Amino acid sequence: MASLFGGGGGSSNSGGLNQERLEMALTEMDTVTDLFNRMVSSCQNKCIARYAEGDLSKGETVCIDRCVAKYHEVYGKVGDKLKVRGEQQQR
Amino acid sequence: MDFSGLSSAEQAHVNKLVEKRQFQGFLTMYGKLVEKCFNTCCNDFTSKSLSSKEEQCVNNCAEKFMKHSERVSARFAEMNAEVMSGQKNVSG
Repeated sequence: MASLFGGGGGSSNSGGLNQERLEMALTEMDTVTDLFNRMVSSCQNKCIARYAEGDLSKGETVCIDRCVAKYHEVYGKVGDKLKVRGEQQQR
Repeated sequence: MDFSGLSSAEQAHVNKLVEKRQFQGFLTMYGKLVEKCFNTCCNDFTSKSLSSKEEQCVNNCAEKFMKHSERVSARFAEMNAEVMSGQKNVSG
């Protein structure tokens, strides 16, 4: 995922407003935002069952922390699978 | 995203694009939250206005969502920072 955060590509050279670079950055931003939104939505569905009070309960809080970590792990695992598949298809 | 090295006019252009995206994102989130809270809280249609119970539920739902979202955001940021520093160690 880190390649999404400017790890890849020359973030050091910035000779003016490169349209291509800008588009890449915006796509990157959209991707991260989308991931975040899906994570929020999934973990809300998994962890929050009642709306009898406006505060997160202790249990919900713990659930959310674990949910985010797990979501992230799944993101990595699925990414690995896709990567392997992609490499196989390139050959 | 590193946009340093751009002129101020270019910076302004980039900021405008980012702001537009953020506004779009806010509106989408708003719509989804309304849907979520409506579906969770409103199940009785014998009256056209919200009952006090429903209203309380909607307030709780929105408040809870914001706290939930903040928490996910904090954990998400930590996770990304971790991945980033891991990458740096590998390459550097």
